[in-house]
Amino acid sequence: MQIQPVLSALRRHRLATLLIALEIALACAVLCNACFLIANRVGLMHVDSGVDERSLATISLTGYDDAKSTDLNARVTSGLRAIPGVQSVSVINQVPFGEHAGTAGITLDSAGKQFGGVVDFYVAGPESFKALGLQVVEGRAPSSDEYQPLQQFVPSNANVLVTRTLADHLWPGVDALGKEFWCDKFHFRVVGVVANLAKAEGSEGGPSTIQWSVFTPAQPGPNLSGRYLLRADPSQLWRVLRDARAAIATVAPDAVVDQLQSQTITDLRERHFRQDRVMAGMLIGVIVALLLVTALGIVGLASFWVAQRRRQIGIRRAIGATRGDILHYFQIENFLIVTFGIVLGMVLAYALNLLLMTQYELPRLPLYYLPIGALILWGLGQLAVLGPAMRAAAVPPVVATRSV
Amino acid sequence: MFRYNFKLALHGLRRFPKSTTLAVLTVALGLAASMTTLALLHMLSADPLPGRSDHLYLAWVDTVQAKPFNTEVFKMAGITISSYDRIRMPDAEALLGAHRAMRQTALADMSADVEDGNGAHRQKDQNLLATTSDFVPMFGVALRYGRSWSATEDADRRPVAVIDENLAQQLFGTTHAVDRVVRINNKPFQVIGVSAAYAPQPHFYELASWSFSGSEHESVFVPYGAALDAGMSAYGPDGCDDSVTQKPGAAPDPQHCAWLSYWVQLDTPAQVASYREYLTHYVEQQKSLAGFGKKIAKVELLGVSQWLEKQNVIPDNVRLNVWMAGSFLLLCMVNVAGLLAAKFMRRSGEIGIRRALGATRGSIFTQHVIEASVVCVIGGVLALPLTMLGLKILRLQDDGFTDLAKLDPLMFTGLFVLALAVGVLVGLLPAWRASAVEPGLQVKSA
Repeated sequence: MQIQPVLSALRRHRLATLLIALEIALACAVLCNACFLIANRVGLMHVDSGVDERSLATISLTGYDDAKSTDLNARVTSGLRAIPGVQSVSVINQVPFGEHAGTAGITLDSAGKQFGGVVDFYVAGPESFKALGLQVVEGRAPSSDEYQPLQQFVPSNANVLVTRTLADHLWPGVDALGKEFWCDKFHFRVVGVVANLAKAEGSEGGPSTIQWSVFTPAQPGPNLSGRYLLRADPSQLWRVLRDARAAIATVAPDAVVDQLQSQTITDLRERHFRQDRVMAGMLIGVIVALLLVTALGIVGLASFWVAQRRRQIGIRRAIGATRGDILHYFQIENFLIVTFGIVLGMVLAYALNLLLMTQYELPRLPLYYLPIGALILWGLGQLAVLGPAMRAAAVPPVVATRSV
Repeated sequence: MFRYNFKLALHGLRRFPKSTTLAVLTVALGLAASMTTLALLHMLSADPLPGRSDHLYLAWVDTVQAKPFNTEVFKMAGITISSYDRIRMPDAEALLGAHRAMRQTALADMSADVEDGNGAHRQKDQNLLATTSDFVPMFGVALRYGRSWSATEDADRRPVAVIDENLAQQLFGTTHAVDRVVRINNKPFQVIGVSAAYAPQPHFYELASWSFSGSEHESVFVPYGAALDAGMSAYGPDGCDDSVTQKPGAAPDPQHCAWLSYWVQLDTPAQVASYREYLTHYVEQQKSLAGFGKKIAKVELLGVSQWLEKQNVIPDNVRLNVWMAGSFLLLCMVNVAGLLAAKFMRRSGEIGIRRALGATRGSIFTQHVIEASVVCVIGGVLALPLTMLGLKILRLQDDGFTDLAKLDPLMFTGLFVLALAVGVLVGLLPAWRASAVEPGLQVKSA
């Protein structure tokens, strides 16, 4: 099959050709970017929190007298431990996907000149490390004597564990064990590295920082109270949480349960990503509508062309073209137009991506989205043109002898 | 002439009903998608208090006795520290006492359980606005019964409250609740007024608690002195003096933490300028600040729209959706233009005959632009129910702000203007092509 006659025929229909190509180009630009946005959201939604989400829940209390917080901690932990099915109760300042409480900037020198990044300090009491189910990949878990009393929101001199990502960011290519960092006047020494521990409220400061967390062992007290980590078997967790909420009314009538924050980690995660899910759903809607409209547009135009060229098709058939030739003619024509559109569309896709990057925190569109987008549009074009092309192939040669 | 062209256009539409239907549906889809996202954006960016917001200003003075945040450090990490420009109570009292604006008020959101006098009916976790006497007249809270409190009652820290109709109904079974007693946080308050539900969107005067909300609003207004006396406190403050240690999540120290938003009403630009001067002067007088590296007076006086812009209250997603839907509409327009071009070219013969019989190019052009516009206007009519459907889906999303997704009359008109504009735009190219048909050539071949 020759391309030359197809091209010269298209040259006679410049406007319609241009419009379809433009439509494909726009579809390509929107499709690539929408898919990329969806992939971004889905990537965010699947972040590994590093903890045993299915076994964990949290109870958050407010409104109590600060002076009584040590007493409150004691009452609540013993009260919650009494609930059947509870495997462990510990005091913690924040949990993944909950409200953040220990976000601060750190420096790599005591003078505060060399900035390290903004990290989340998980300040947590005895039992919490095991309860969270953090996976130590280097060094060791905190020992029991490392849980020190707090004068401020973090201990003044603590042995801590950092995540793999944070260790690689602060000390690239070097063993992180034994390294030190500071947060204002507070001093920290790394004794272990954990695989993952996501920041409480996620990716503030870009998706790459989502794992920048520090596990800081500490003793519960006035500066560490009011939030409790519950661990139970996943099958019993929901009941345990319900009982725990009820138990607070008796063991700590002076405190108010923060209902929104007192949830299982799974539920907190679900709520945390709700907006992202809605957004992904909408984008999928846009993609479906877009593909549908594009396909229908191609069908519409191709049908017109077939109807317009009935006589020419008849003549070609009469002088020996097979049905297959006619079919291929329209398929090739569509392929050429779509290809032209895709070339233009790739440029547009990048332009749209650049535009979105200036407005929102978005990385650059990876190159491999372009061939995928191209494949989808080629497929869509061929599928859409198939119906009209078959109708064209069915035009009998006798049409040539009739005047229109 | 126009009527004749119009008749011809309608006639043309009926010629190929399938492609006309396709074009109309495409337009409807594109318009509905754009309209849905635009309606949401429009609702979110609407004036929260029409007629009043132009004269309201948020005043802020940086008098917290603490070393300023090393904001550079946070900027490097791409983090903006959220600050809601709140001030400490001693400053609020000094500014309130000076009466330099037309009206002035300090406010903060709190929450508490509210019950009727004998504890029979209890409403948990009610949002409560702790404020001063000027709030009700200044922010246009509509009183149904009774009155709001006076400056004297503010000064006396009198436990009085204005509650809204819904809460009155829930607690007392009637909206006539004036002179009844409510227990707020287990302390008795006297109801002196009942107001209509008050929920401007966004919640601009106290963005620290929430910005958009379908259901959340303050149902109780009390003098802030009385609220503190009843043991209630604000949520997390913007900052505290170094002399106190503020634990995250704990009740802020009312004397030393910045927890009050301070609003003033200023009616003329001259008043705004002189109030700004007054604020600067006020900060400069605070000698004690020198020790904290705050040598230059930091002062802000922001109008409502400036304030909303600074706090970036419209979610990024909403704007992103508008962009996406806009691209989609563009695609639909190109698609329709293609369909129309094909349709118009099929009647080249007919156009040639009309031209040969004396029709001008302009007349052919007008006929086809009208045809395109009619397609788009019908598409616009169809887009209306589709937009309603889209907004309904949005409202189902339980996102805090999507409850507000409604189509108001202005947007409704906007839809039709948009449809017509799209029609004309879409029609231009194919119509121009149609009007370029040479009369002779077509007549011969036909």
